[in-house]
Amino acid sequence: MLNVLRRRRGGDVQAIANTPWWETHLRFFFIAPSMVLLAVLAVFPAIMSWRMAFSRVTFKLGELEIEPIGFANFTKAFSDNLIIGSTVRTAVWVLVVVSAEIVVGLFIAFLMSKLHSRARMFFTAALIIPLVLPPVSVGAGWLVMMDVNFGVLNYLLSLVGIEPLLWLADDRTALASIMLIDIWQASMFVFILMYAGILSLPQDPYEAAAIDGASPWQIFRDVTIPLLRPTFVVVLLLRTLDAARIADRMLAMTRGGPGSSTETVTLSIYKYAFIHFNFGYASALSVMFQVVLIILATFYIRRILRA
Amino acid sequence: MVGERSAPLVLSRHVLMLGVVLIVLAPVYWMLMIGLKTESEFSQIPPTIWPQEFTLEWFEAVLGKRGFGEQIMNSVIIAAIATSIAITVGSLAAYGLSRFQLPWGLNYHILFFILTVRMFPQTVTVVPLFIFFTQIGLIDTHIGMGLVHSMLELPLAVWMMLGFFRDIPRDLEEAAMVDGDHWLGAFRKVIIPLVRPGLAATSILILIASWNEFLFSLILTRTEAQTLPIAVANQVTQFDILYGRMMAASAISIIPVLIFTLLVQRNLIRGLTLGGVSGA
Repeated sequence: MLNVLRRRRGGDVQAIANTPWWETHLRFFFIAPSMVLLAVLAVFPAIMSWRMAFSRVTFKLGELEIEPIGFANFTKAFSDNLIIGSTVRTAVWVLVVVSAEIVVGLFIAFLMSKLHSRARMFFTAALIIPLVLPPVSVGAGWLVMMDVNFGVLNYLLSLVGIEPLLWLADDRTALASIMLIDIWQASMFVFILMYAGILSLPQDPYEAAAIDGASPWQIFRDVTIPLLRPTFVVVLLLRTLDAARIADRMLAMTRGGPGSSTETVTLSIYKYAFIHFNFGYASALSVMFQVVLIILATFYIRRILRA
Repeated sequence: MVGERSAPLVLSRHVLMLGVVLIVLAPVYWMLMIGLKTESEFSQIPPTIWPQEFTLEWFEAVLGKRGFGEQIMNSVIIAAIATSIAITVGSLAAYGLSRFQLPWGLNYHILFFILTVRMFPQTVTVVPLFIFFTQIGLIDTHIGMGLVHSMLELPLAVWMMLGFFRDIPRDLEEAAMVDGDHWLGAFRKVIIPLVRPGLAATSILILIASWNEFLFSLILTRTEAQTLPIAVANQVTQFDILYGRMMAASAISIIPVLIFTLLVQRNLIRGLTLGGVSGA
């Protein structure tokens, strides 16, 4: 590698001549395994999804038949009320959970930055706990807490004189109940990112603002918020895309019910693929969803690069 | 950044944070306790905060259930395979990207591409993988599932290790090489010891992500390689939900994660900041 380093600096031609070919191309060998892994397990399947999206697919006893049918799967999607419902529901889900998580996460991050350093370490260690727990297991735990008869949440509501709720059993509250769980877990992710952002803020603008005699609110609005904008965009990007793809909580807790009140886009596609075994239609929905996510991601990533 | 020095204000902030932490951790505490309560105790109103009578009956019932031990082992094996592949392959890529300039601006494009893969809808890859794995016999196998999890966590590994490698001054390894070491020797003697904390934190994040992963495992396994989250979910969707057992099963899946998290928390926080382990 020394030779490679030298060559980059434009020196020592003789050393290059004596170096075996694989060592002069060493830089490609480092990334090759990653590229192969992603190509085989992500890119190749994605290409196959695009092909199946335009086909009628039958897969029985290991025999795969793909028969091209043009855009039929796509036109079907636009008159499929289940998918339209899931799309609207997923959009609502993303809007609610991401905004709530940003408010909660930002609040905790600011509060944390005002504490003594030893307390910060202790509290931060405690707060990352919900974040790393298996979503399915905590879902099961919340299921017990949301039990209609002896769940602790209804007990707490009764203490403040509120009628017991049906939580997951009622199609009006089921989605909101799962939102609550998501906000509980993922706010801590937003907190960690925002907290790191706050800790790395430069001090100079604050000193300048203090000399100008700015009020705490003015400092917050005109100095902190603009400086935190890059962190905001990263948080929005990661949270929006993860929230849009949600399915595991619903799959484990409600299977999309009651009715279709907790069915999201990913869950609907899962059902078309693995309950109705309609791989062609499921693929068409997948690739349309992929296009939407790529547009969203590009929108955010452009902003990150601009910032 | 402790701003104003007025004691009551500083104290009230700490008390407020303590309240936040208690609220955030209360559900975890509650879940773990239900698994230790008797049925009559966890279904009584008002509920008890500390169990009056501890019981291990739910844990015994779950662990004694046929297949549960295997499911734990499957999760361990798959997480081990996924972590070894993703950390090796990912670190190599991160090291290469942090040390060499590839032609045609490939460094930037590769990093961008890796991010894009992380944002694919799960169904766009899992449906073809189901077909592909069924045809070549990788469905419901440890190695197949381990490979899939390593693919899912590779973006995290690359991005996180990239940060750790970039922190190492290049002079250090050049000095070792000028002293007559081959690049591999410099890599082993200089780079590896310096990134060891980073490697540990990244590995643990991948391990946790694989341990927690649900959707791909649900679709790509049946019996032989079925993982713990599937076992927990099966407890939930049974016709008669047995809360005690369900909570014992959850606790068994939660406790290892808790221990790992507390072991490496400082580097873990850095990893979470760079990569993000939430969700699928």
